[in-house]
Amino acid sequence: MLWIAAAVFVVVIGTLLYGTFRRRPSSPEFEERPTRKRGATRAIAAGAVATLLILFVYLVFDFSVGHALGASRRGAFEIELIGHRWWWEVRYLAPALPARITTANEIHIPAGAPVLVRLRSNDVIHSLWVPDLTGKRDLIPGKRTSIWLQAATPGVYRGQCAEFCGQQHAKMALLVVADSRADFDRWYAGQVASSAVPTDSVTMRGRQVFLENACALCHAVRGTPAAATIGPDLTHLASRRTIGAGLLQNTRGNLAGWVLDAQSIKPGVDMPPNHLTPGDLQALLAYLETLR
Amino acid sequence: MTATASGQAPTALREALHEVWADKPGLVGWLTSVDHKSIGKRYVITAFAFFLLGGLEAAVIRMQLARPENHVVGPDLYDQLFTMHGTTMMFLFAVPVMTAMGLYLVPLMIGSRDVAFPRLNAYGYYVYLIGGLFLYSGFFLGSGPDAGWFAYTPLSGPEFGIGKRMDIWAQTVTFTEIAGIIAAIEIIVTIFKQRAPGMSLNRMPLFVWSMLIMAFMILFAMPWIAVDSQFLAMDRLMQTQFFNQAEGGDALLWQHLFWFFGHPEVYIIFIPALGYVSTIISTFTRREIFGYPAMVAALIVTGFLGFALWVHHMFVTSIPQIGASFFTAASAMIAIPTGVQFFCWIATIWEGRPRFQTPFLFMLGFFLVFIIGGLSGVMVASVPFDSQVHDTFFIVAHLHYVLLGGAVFPLWGAFYYWFPKFSGRMLSETLGRWNFALFFIGVNVAFFPMHLLGLNGMPRRVYTYIAETGWGDLNLLATLGAVTIAASVIVFLVNVARTLAAAPHAPDDPWETSSTLEWAVSSPPPPYNFAELPVVEGRYALWDRSAEQPVVTGLRTDQRELLITTLLDAEPDHRHRTPDPTIWPLLAALATGITFIALVYTPWAMVIGAVLIAAPLIAWGWPKPKPGDPIVTEGTS
Amino acid sequence: MTREPAANIDVAALPSAAFGHRAITWWGTLGFMTAEGLTLVVCVVAYIYVQRNFPRWPPPGTPLPSITIPLIQIAVMLASVPVMAWTSRAARRLDLRGARLGMLLSGIFAVAFCVLRWYEFQALNARWDSTAYGSVAWAVLVAHSTLLVTQVFESATVVAILYRGPVEPKHFGDVDDSCLYWYFLTGGWILLSLLVFFSPRLH
Repeated sequence: MLWIAAAVFVVVIGTLLYGTFRRRPSSPEFEERPTRKRGATRAIAAGAVATLLILFVYLVFDFSVGHALGASRRGAFEIELIGHRWWWEVRYLAPALPARITTANEIHIPAGAPVLVRLRSNDVIHSLWVPDLTGKRDLIPGKRTSIWLQAATPGVYRGQCAEFCGQQHAKMALLVVADSRADFDRWYAGQVASSAVPTDSVTMRGRQVFLENACALCHAVRGTPAAATIGPDLTHLASRRTIGAGLLQNTRGNLAGWVLDAQSIKPGVDMPPNHLTPGDLQALLAYLETLR
Repeated sequence: MTATASGQAPTALREALHEVWADKPGLVGWLTSVDHKSIGKRYVITAFAFFLLGGLEAAVIRMQLARPENHVVGPDLYDQLFTMHGTTMMFLFAVPVMTAMGLYLVPLMIGSRDVAFPRLNAYGYYVYLIGGLFLYSGFFLGSGPDAGWFAYTPLSGPEFGIGKRMDIWAQTVTFTEIAGIIAAIEIIVTIFKQRAPGMSLNRMPLFVWSMLIMAFMILFAMPWIAVDSQFLAMDRLMQTQFFNQAEGGDALLWQHLFWFFGHPEVYIIFIPALGYVSTIISTFTRREIFGYPAMVAALIVTGFLGFALWVHHMFVTSIPQIGASFFTAASAMIAIPTGVQFFCWIATIWEGRPRFQTPFLFMLGFFLVFIIGGLSGVMVASVPFDSQVHDTFFIVAHLHYVLLGGAVFPLWGAFYYWFPKFSGRMLSETLGRWNFALFFIGVNVAFFPMHLLGLNGMPRRVYTYIAETGWGDLNLLATLGAVTIAASVIVFLVNVARTLAAAPHAPDDPWETSSTLEWAVSSPPPPYNFAELPVVEGRYALWDRSAEQPVVTGLRTDQRELLITTLLDAEPDHRHRTPDPTIWPLLAALATGITFIALVYTPWAMVIGAVLIAAPLIAWGWPKPKPGDPIVTEGTS
Repeated sequence: MTREPAANIDVAALPSAAFGHRAITWWGTLGFMTAEGLTLVVCVVAYIYVQRNFPRWPPPGTPLPSITIPLIQIAVMLASVPVMAWTSRAARRLDLRGARLGMLLSGIFAVAFCVLRWYEFQALNARWDSTAYGSVAWAVLVAHSTLLVTQVFESATVVAILYRGPVEPKHFGDVDDSCLYWYFLTGGWILLSLLVFFSPRLH
């Protein structure tokens, strides 16, 4: 398509520039009104026909690609993706899979198999876009939309919200991780499990900090009393590559900064600043790091 | 020179007409003027001022994006800036400046003395001005709209749109739509009924054709957004449920109504520009535009097709495939009439001997830049391609190539071309060439890299991006392009300032080869335009006229009269008394402004407004006959 | 271009007013009718579009609109049309007496429409903020009501000019244009009324 466009550009602009800068006869007749109508009429008609033909080929090509992309497939399983301002909630739905799990900002799929992603939003319109895997599809409140995700080879593919959804539209990314089937099954089994139980005094203190501070008002950690659904499910937080919806690497330092003052990193986000003592903070981080 | 030229008509006639048609002196005259030239000039200047503001917003946006994770502005201000930029350029600059050029030039070009409804024309301008000032007052007071110029619900709705930001936006849109519809009706009726005798439809200059089609498109497109924005305002103010899916409303209803206006909007901006191109090419090659019937047909077809494309803005909302295919085909087909016009222009240039003065340079710029935008436009008509590049910088590149190439280059050429007619002075050629060169380089450097950014995955409307994406260098390049564009705008402003201060006065037709009637009168034109209306003898009025220009005689000289002619053949039909200057349109516009602004805060403004607006309207229409006017009493019939 | 010899044209003898499509005010009126008519069309589009989101129309819990008042409104509107046709003919023969009477009657009719409209809003049996059904139904009525109010002011102004002001021939053109607008106002409403008040009964 680019080559056709480039060719059209060269031909049209070439004709224009030649027509503009060509040498004119200096005869007085030339200064009179144009006379050579027939040649020009033919050239214009030829141009119009050429335009029509190029567009026809283009449309045939477009429809066949569109048809191939739209062809129905047999999916391995279905995922429900819910857009929030400004993060992604990912649900793996029973019954195709043995248990329903909820995670955030990271979609795992088995490489080579098509997966149907059902798209939902309860606030504003978002749009899922994983450039290396597929085109965009909007998440529209009150509408059912869906899109097929399929990665030919294992790898990590960055995705991003593509419909303006407010202040942090820029920082609403996600990762699609395509694993081999075995790796995927291992990951899935890990996600189905309940959260890690603290074993030492520091992480036990950390869990207490989590439950007694604002954290538990918005986040869920399965296996603890925290079951709120306002923010991302943190049951297996430490297994995820990024925090803040694809924004930061999931390191202890970044996590600390996020917990203390998410507003300075992602202004407008729902996560409030948390005033923790250094001891509490370290304990909380230690606990969160156990949530593999 | 002939009898239509201002210099040849009897002095007594010119003095009498001047007495009747001139504005009153001083500030009062300025506020009460209903002269289409005064109003048109104000319209152009106001729209250009908004263009500068929109440009400043763009400059800040480019500064912010020049480097990854930059901190020139925060996300909240950034969202307001890009929303203001889009809203300003589309609603306050592009459409108004195009209608303004029409309101100024059409009566001159068709040989009439004013537009059809001069008072309504003044009212429309003031409504537009108030709307623009209202939006900017909100912005500078911290209530700039922040949901994009497209204002998708529910982001713009009562739940997520904070404060009064989007209410102000919605009412601004209403203001500009009212002004646009009024301008469209003015232009249509003026063209239909006021053409000089002899200017039958098939002799109308292509410029006038393009204005006519633009006006029809405005008339058919703008009511959609006017109602849509009122739905939004009511959702926010009175808890109606138009777009609330929880109560059966529909977020996509907003998008359909918006784009049913929004896509024709592009052609509303583009089609008048085609009129400038035809006019300027014909003057600077001294050739009739090749294939007049094909050109007119292409304009009309473009106008119709413009209404069949709106869904291509919504391909990624999950449109059924068969429907999407129709819109793909329609979108691609619009390349045909555009192509035909391109070929006709090239043939015209080929056959002529072009003179490379500034207006013509901008035409060459138009060809080079617009064709890139047109070709990328055909690409994004494809659903598979669009679903990748939709809402990325590829689209930003595409739309700026189309709008800058297709509208701003021709408009800039038109400014240079008609400036002597507006002001009586010629702009400098040297600075004009600098203006053109910087703008041409700047546009390409700023926007071409954006194609690549989009293909590399950079979405639109992001206030920043992280360094790892690798988008930094191309963004820096784009910002350098924006700086070059700014430099070219500054050159233009300097050119205008120096010209108004010092340039010598321009003759009637400084280009010497113009073909349309506005060049038969002095620069700037007298208040009555034509001392004696010309009788038109061909498509190119000044080239086809007899040595002794036939004229119209017998219009009254003691009051403002227009000659009304028949729709198709422009045969004289009757004389129409047209109104004198008055303050009432301004007061009515103020009352309208107060009503709509109050409507941001309370629905009762509708009730109060009805009374408030009615009073000046009645005064506006109240008859004030002059001695000698026919008066009808109960016995006369 | 073919040249035809043209001569000067003297227009002093041409009339200074015209009716119908010859007059620019007629075209102006037509232009505004187009724009206003489209606002009504947009409301109708919204009405039909939103309907797809409802399994039942009107939604459960919302009663059907009453039709007595809407029927009276339609009857009154139909009755007004011959009056306005008569007024138009009077205006075209510059019959000041007829024009005065006709426009006075038009004012009375327009006020009557507005009073009936007040009750029509109640006949909807739904609030604008209840559901999208209520919103679109109100939108249709409100959009048309702005035209009604405009007509009241228009009639009042023309009546005032005809009785108090110096009447020029062009004012008969205004009367004539008022009649054109009248057909749009009443004819448009009958279609809208069928949609909003009567079509829900078909579901």
